[in-house]
Amino acid sequence: MLSSLHLNPTLNYATLNYSSTLLLLRGSRRRTRRGGANDSLVSTAHPARQYPSLSASLAPAREEERKEEALLPPHLRPESLPRHVAVIMDGNSRWAKARGLPSSAGHEAGYHTLKKMVELSCQWGIRALTVFAFSSENWTRPKMEVDFLMTLFENVLKESLGEFLREGIRICIIGDSSELPQSLQKLAKEVVDKTKNNTQIDLIVAISYSGRKEITQACQNIAQKVKDGLLEPEDITESHIEEELETNCIPEFPNPDLLIRTSGELRLSNFLLWQSAYTELFFTNTYWPDFGEADYIEALTSFQNRQRRFGQRIN
Amino acid sequence: MVISPSSTNSSLSTYRFLFLLRRELVRADFVVGVVCYLQAMADDVTRVLKPPSLENLICVSLLLFRSWQKLNASIILKLILVFCWYLMHLLVCLVHIMASLKKWLLSYIISFGLLSKYQNLQLDMLNCLAVVVDSEEATDTRKIKHLLCWLLTMDIKYITLYDMQGLLKKTLGNDLMSLTKTSTRSCAVDDVKTMASVFQMEKMTVEILSLSDGKEGIAKAASFLCSKYMKDDSVSCNKSEPAFTESDVANALNAVGYCGPEPQLLLIYGPARCHLGFPPWRLTYTEIVHMGSLRFMNYGAILREIYQFSKKHQNYGT
Repeated sequence: MLSSLHLNPTLNYATLNYSSTLLLLRGSRRRTRRGGANDSLVSTAHPARQYPSLSASLAPAREEERKEEALLPPHLRPESLPRHVAVIMDGNSRWAKARGLPSSAGHEAGYHTLKKMVELSCQWGIRALTVFAFSSENWTRPKMEVDFLMTLFENVLKESLGEFLREGIRICIIGDSSELPQSLQKLAKEVVDKTKNNTQIDLIVAISYSGRKEITQACQNIAQKVKDGLLEPEDITESHIEEELETNCIPEFPNPDLLIRTSGELRLSNFLLWQSAYTELFFTNTYWPDFGEADYIEALTSFQNRQRRFGQRIN
Repeated sequence: MVISPSSTNSSLSTYRFLFLLRRELVRADFVVGVVCYLQAMADDVTRVLKPPSLENLICVSLLLFRSWQKLNASIILKLILVFCWYLMHLLVCLVHIMASLKKWLLSYIISFGLLSKYQNLQLDMLNCLAVVVDSEEATDTRKIKHLLCWLLTMDIKYITLYDMQGLLKKTLGNDLMSLTKTSTRSCAVDDVKTMASVFQMEKMTVEILSLSDGKEGIAKAASFLCSKYMKDDSVSCNKSEPAFTESDVANALNAVGYCGPEPQLLLIYGPARCHLGFPPWRLTYTEIVHMGSLRFMNYGAILREIYQFSKKHQNYGT
């Protein structure tokens, strides 16, 4: 419904009766405080005003309203957003190659994209973000590239620690840390310790990670419990394995609701194999350095529009 | 008020009277509303036409003129923005519709064999194809059999069918059991839900899985591994710490009967684009494609996906 001109006989001036559609153009949704997973976030699209004064309707919106409106895109429903998003950040090298740049330039550009994505996730109320930074298979890449990546991870952790603390980002590192350089291992531990009390968003970074290795490690941990007499072999169930997985560092939402993979590949590549049973998969042809706000919105919109029944029947 | 065909004449008359009365009242309301509106307009005009002082008149006129200009500009701008917004939406929708139509048309052209490049597919890389079906749609056994016939014509050697709740095991499994050589796991035969079945046909092997073959299978493998470790540990007098490798887990899965080939391509039929608990150990490098609803499955669409898969290059992380 478009705005309609309504003549109020009791006033000298004509007044405007806004419809919610017009407000939608300006992004009428207000971000609310993040709470539990089942918080119902109230839509704050203003109801149609009855008789606003002309000066009020033509005056610029208040600063706070404008900021709040900018936080969530209009057609994303806050109550239907995924709580945990996983990302396979693929395509850095191909992005760089397409531009005649070395692969290191692609990885640096990828870092800036990640930074933007963390910022957007914080703004839009995503509770957890898991990113696949380096797989156990990536160790076979050229030594120069691997060394550059390890240095990049170190620099990012060092430079961003202040920002993590300021923005309330809790960092978890998953993967086989024994293969990482000693300095990176020490720094990662320090960052994880210092940010463990942050509550705004959980950022899980998978470095030297393999889904199969994670399951194997979980079985190993369970075997240790059996050896310690805490568990019998015949009593082992799926939940015991789930408790031992590294993604249990966020016990509220260990399994991602949405998994995004960039660069057009259509596979998990040994990432979150156990955890992705009911994860909505979104594959995009965009290379990771080019993955922007619009692509993220597209992925979230696709998630919202899916009829997710988790394999159960609808009665 | 609901009037059933069997109502008496008096009820019908009462309803008709009430309806006519309501209509007249609405008309009366409307007339009253219009009269009030005209009266208010007349009041406004009278008020405006009262002889004010010249100074007041000029001020009011200027104010009205500026307000009217602002109002006009603001309304026009907003109308233009709204129009542009809807126009953009319409364009995006049209593009999306055209893209979907093109995809659908291409599928049918491929189905009729009009494109030669889809005829002789190179299936060297496709040793195993998996199909995940939403449990709601798995009840349509006829469609599943149709799908199997199509895959048979494509010379695919190993097909894994999966649905979460084990419906395919009960329905399709029973039909295939009588036609083929069947091998099953060594567990309770009457418990079809937990039983995976492998059906050896003349040119194709069909494996049917359910949720119990996924995570539960890994839990049983873990149990096997732990039992074996404890037995070996007691022999070595509790000296060794548990140290498992991926090969150990794979062998354990084989030992408990939950092994199987890793599919290179996985087609998902259902509303949600997720693999619904397909055995996670076998999904490492599987290409996953969402095909939409099983009701609208299309031979050309399957051929297209297999063709695109055959052109893929996987670097396996290197």
